[in-house]
Amino acid sequence: METATQQDTVTLTIDGKTVTVPKGTMVVDAAKKVDIEIPVFCYLEKLGPFGCCRMCLVEVEKMPKLTTACTLAVNNDMVVKTTTEKVVKAQQGVLEFTLLNHPLDCPVCDKGGECPLQDNTFKFGPPDTRMEYDRQNRDKATPLSPVITIDRERCIACQRCTRYSEIIEKDQALVMLYRGFQNKVATFNDQPYDTRFSGNVIDICPVGALTNTDFRFTARAWDLTNASTLCGHCGCNCNMTLGVRLNEMKRITTRPNDAVDDGWICDKARWGYDFTKSKNRIQKPRKRDETLTIQDACQQVAGELKKIIEQHGPDSVGFIGSGYGLNEELYLYQKLFRTRIGTNNIDHKTYLDTPGLPVPQWDLPSVEAADLVLLIASDPTEELPILDLRIKKAVTRLETKLVTLNDQTTLMDDYATPSLRYNIGSDATVFSALSAVLSGQPGQGLESTGLESGQIQSLAETLKSAKKVCVIYNPAGLTGTSIHNLKQLLSVIGQLPDTECGALPSAPVTNALGAMDMGVLPDFYPGGRPLSDGAAIQKDWGENAPVKPGWTALEMIEKAKSGELKALVVFRCNPVVDFPGGAAVLEALQKLELLVVHDIMETETAQAAHFVIPSNGPGFDEGTTTNIGGRVQQRTRGLTSDNPHDWKIIAMIAREFGDETLYKNVFEVTAEIAGKVNGYAAIKRKDIRREGKTRDPVASINGSLPEAGPSVANVAGSLKLRVAQFLFCHDKILDADSQLAHQFKSSSVHLHEQDAAELGVKAGDEVTVFAEGWSVKAEAVISNRCNPGGVVLPKISDEQGVMGLIHPGHAVQWVQIKK
Amino acid sequence: MTQILFKGIDTPGLTSIDVYEKQGGYAALEKAFAREPDEIVEMVKASGLRGRGGAGFPCGLKWSFLAKDVFPRYLCCNSDESEPGTCKDRELLMKNPHLCIEGMILCAYACRIETAYNYIRGEFEEYGEIMDRAIAEAYERGYLGKNILGSGFNLEMYTHMGAGAYICGEESALLTSLEGGRGEPRMKPPFPAVEGLYSKPTIVNNTETLCVIPFIVNNGPEAYAAIGTEKSKGTKLVSVSGHVNKPGNYEIVLGTPISEIIDKYAGGIRNGNKLKAFIPGGSSVPMLPADKVDTPYDYESLVAAGSMLGSGALIVMDDTTNVVAEVLRITSFYMHESCGKCTPCREGTRWMHQILLEIQNKVGKPEQLDLLSDICDNMSFKCFCPLGDAAIAPVLSSIKYFRADYEALLESAKTPVA
Repeated sequence: METATQQDTVTLTIDGKTVTVPKGTMVVDAAKKVDIEIPVFCYLEKLGPFGCCRMCLVEVEKMPKLTTACTLAVNNDMVVKTTTEKVVKAQQGVLEFTLLNHPLDCPVCDKGGECPLQDNTFKFGPPDTRMEYDRQNRDKATPLSPVITIDRERCIACQRCTRYSEIIEKDQALVMLYRGFQNKVATFNDQPYDTRFSGNVIDICPVGALTNTDFRFTARAWDLTNASTLCGHCGCNCNMTLGVRLNEMKRITTRPNDAVDDGWICDKARWGYDFTKSKNRIQKPRKRDETLTIQDACQQVAGELKKIIEQHGPDSVGFIGSGYGLNEELYLYQKLFRTRIGTNNIDHKTYLDTPGLPVPQWDLPSVEAADLVLLIASDPTEELPILDLRIKKAVTRLETKLVTLNDQTTLMDDYATPSLRYNIGSDATVFSALSAVLSGQPGQGLESTGLESGQIQSLAETLKSAKKVCVIYNPAGLTGTSIHNLKQLLSVIGQLPDTECGALPSAPVTNALGAMDMGVLPDFYPGGRPLSDGAAIQKDWGENAPVKPGWTALEMIEKAKSGELKALVVFRCNPVVDFPGGAAVLEALQKLELLVVHDIMETETAQAAHFVIPSNGPGFDEGTTTNIGGRVQQRTRGLTSDNPHDWKIIAMIAREFGDETLYKNVFEVTAEIAGKVNGYAAIKRKDIRREGKTRDPVASINGSLPEAGPSVANVAGSLKLRVAQFLFCHDKILDADSQLAHQFKSSSVHLHEQDAAELGVKAGDEVTVFAEGWSVKAEAVISNRCNPGGVVLPKISDEQGVMGLIHPGHAVQWVQIKK
Repeated sequence: MTQILFKGIDTPGLTSIDVYEKQGGYAALEKAFAREPDEIVEMVKASGLRGRGGAGFPCGLKWSFLAKDVFPRYLCCNSDESEPGTCKDRELLMKNPHLCIEGMILCAYACRIETAYNYIRGEFEEYGEIMDRAIAEAYERGYLGKNILGSGFNLEMYTHMGAGAYICGEESALLTSLEGGRGEPRMKPPFPAVEGLYSKPTIVNNTETLCVIPFIVNNGPEAYAAIGTEKSKGTKLVSVSGHVNKPGNYEIVLGTPISEIIDKYAGGIRNGNKLKAFIPGGSSVPMLPADKVDTPYDYESLVAAGSMLGSGALIVMDDTTNVVAEVLRITSFYMHESCGKCTPCREGTRWMHQILLEIQNKVGKPEQLDLLSDICDNMSFKCFCPLGDAAIAPVLSSIKYFRADYEALLESAKTPVA
């Protein structure tokens, strides 16, 4: 950090108190520093000055008129007065105007108790009104979308919401209509305001005009117990407050943390927690149809596992976890499997990635500090929504440039200069060519990529001339083994003489980074320690710690099919739907002697399990997660479950295997992680409570580039498949009862016009996508979302079954489209 | 009678470029191009020309405030003439569009601007079309476009029709509207000369102001400065309306007594009635009682008399007038035209209207007069833009000078209805 010099700061006096603040600070924010409250309605630091509500009028020496403190930047020697007679009269006058047509329905208003209008009226308002006419009658409770209700009578036209829509969301979906006292917040043609980030307007509304439809009239703000927790959907781990009453989730609101969410959450965070009260939750442990107690379930699972290990050896069992687990849970599971069972058959994902980066791991705010963001194979809008807002902010309000490099068009491309589109499956070639060009060699094989050498040249120049490059990539969006080519590219960028480079590995899963850090991998121990560090591993993890590589998740499915894997514990994932292979996965799992599923919701996999153990999950659980920026934060619980925490259940199973470690609470596991996992030494509960803390980068393995796999042969009449993510996918978490059901989409397949013409497919045609003896129905969309020769199929629901189209062994999947 | 703007205004066919040229039109261009742009700015400064839109800000000074070396920069001619009582720009646009174009070209040259817009009030559809035809003619003659008259100076000019909002006459709202946004004023600073249209340096000048520029370039700043008073130079178009025999637009030399404008130009008060009150500069300025009728019509004298020159609309009321009715009408206008952005203006105009309506309908209460004054005080200099201050001017001034009119209505309210 540069120390602020005198030139960067300004010293002024507010009500006799001296305050020094950075240049450009608004007087209203400077006042906060010395605990002086200047009342506001329209002002929000994140939106910048606007000055429409006139509530913050103050007197400034040498200025003839009162001025608004929210639009006035500080100046040296400025003398501000906020309590003079003139100011008090103005505040009372403005409040009287504000309240003229505001209904007196505070007793039934959701905002009551946490309402800036109420608070400011109490503190600064006139004792009475002189208004003696009927208040303006306006529309009460009108749906603005299925999840937001607007009460136009309460609106004070502060324009926070419309400016949020314009400045933060960048789509101007919500606007002011009409003029003067008839103005109102609305959308074009009364279409629903159903963007991905619409709910934030509820939090920023300074009155009870914009309300959460689900929360309306269900509880008073002061009756809620508020848990400071984290979102458990994507990899951003946005901070949020879970409002609970009588052990039921009532609402979710933002809990601003500039290092993570910049003060916003997406609608999936706000309304995507109905699963906490869903009927489809796994309520009790069971063995097939027989309900068990937790103790019995743990004992029996351990007993069955032991039997199989005795008969077939430790490598006949495996564990598939997921990035949806907490660090503590994942850590304990891998510890159990490695140190007590003795196998490295541990994994959590179906794509390739290894812990560590050849360049520094950067945190989310670095997007704003970078002068170039290179977005590779990533679609933040659907995968990591809050990153979408952060990039838009950097590009439109700061001086950051965005370049996208992807096989499909995304909404981010609107902000990119340029957006480069490579052919599906040619990512490895593109990354290698770019590395070569950056190193002064010619790029090879570009003719098959859909990109021209000029484009790669120019991207290389852009990278070389950038001072700070932030690379964001989605390992799950890559094909084959191209992650290695990408990491090589990163190290080449990192070595450019005048360019500082950092990266954010951005898999779209809550704790993808944490899962890798915790060693839920067949070839790495926690902290990114490779199996080749055998001696050191056995020193830390015991003499019997296995150092033979285990099977990957996909291999475990294959080995289950071949009979080599006898028992499998599946934690918080649903391979039958989410793994490539679809029905084939179910067939393989059915061959297992023992399948244990430990999960929140009933899934297709759980249906096939011998033992099912309930997992509490977000809302109920507590522990830590590591977001895509490497920031470790604490997730606290707001709800209480009858079932023990997951970490307790894992510990109970481990105890059956002789692990006598007693943890009094989950944070003793966190402390153990700090002692055992590289990079987590400084992660202490007390330090991460408020804003979290970035863990030290995990050691990077300078892996050699793998041999290029066999090039994918073109199959006549076939197209290459790209499965795309869709934020509001209708799955087990967002089930049919979800409030976000209106966001669900029907199945569609995106074709290039060239291919569509050859196939004779027109926009809107019902087509079938075929591959691997499986088929998916979809509506044809001719959108040129990818280059010719490919199709993009967004995964819109579990039922759609897109993963059945994919053969697990294929780097690129070919599909056929039939009318 | 000195005529600069209305000289030959009723010449048949003046809207066509041929007739305009025959009258000496576009002659100023060659003269200007022979000089450095900065010299033109200095000429305008020396002429003492002040903005004719309402605020009366020195025109040349405004031009010199343009952010240095920031390009592109823009010129917006403000033809969103909507102030009640004002109809002078309308006449210029309708009868002499080329004068406006010539003025805009000169301004653009002086300020090194290559793109100019004429923002025309939405209701002036017909004059927008006249303007469009005139611009097309000017392009044909090479007065617009690339390398104008071989000078190397380029200028593209467009008309833009407003959508019918008074507030868009306020320069920053005009710019927002021109950009395609909702017509609401912007925060100042930054002023348009620094960050205006598309966040680039922008000059916004009233139509009448720009129409004066050709005269200054043709005849020199001294010729213009010789007209008028010491601080209010030149002539001014005055739209006289109300209870006069010959309402209309008149070009007067600044400093002419108001009584002379009413009697000599506008043919005196109708029916031989007596003058009761007049609003000298459009609905946004305080009204004055008859005893101020000898005030010279110039910026300084009108301020000294307790009002302003504003946009130059002289609204005359004879002694048959109930001033409250006039104030109610004006307040109704401001209530309708308040953009709604800031609280005091949005709520205050409506509240005042509600009260005035009661008083006018003889159901008011005496304490409402103090309430009205206090509402005005709570709006005064507390609104986002000058519209709120404009809205209180007629209310406050009428209470000051014509309290008796209110009291008469309030008195009759006390009498029970038979």
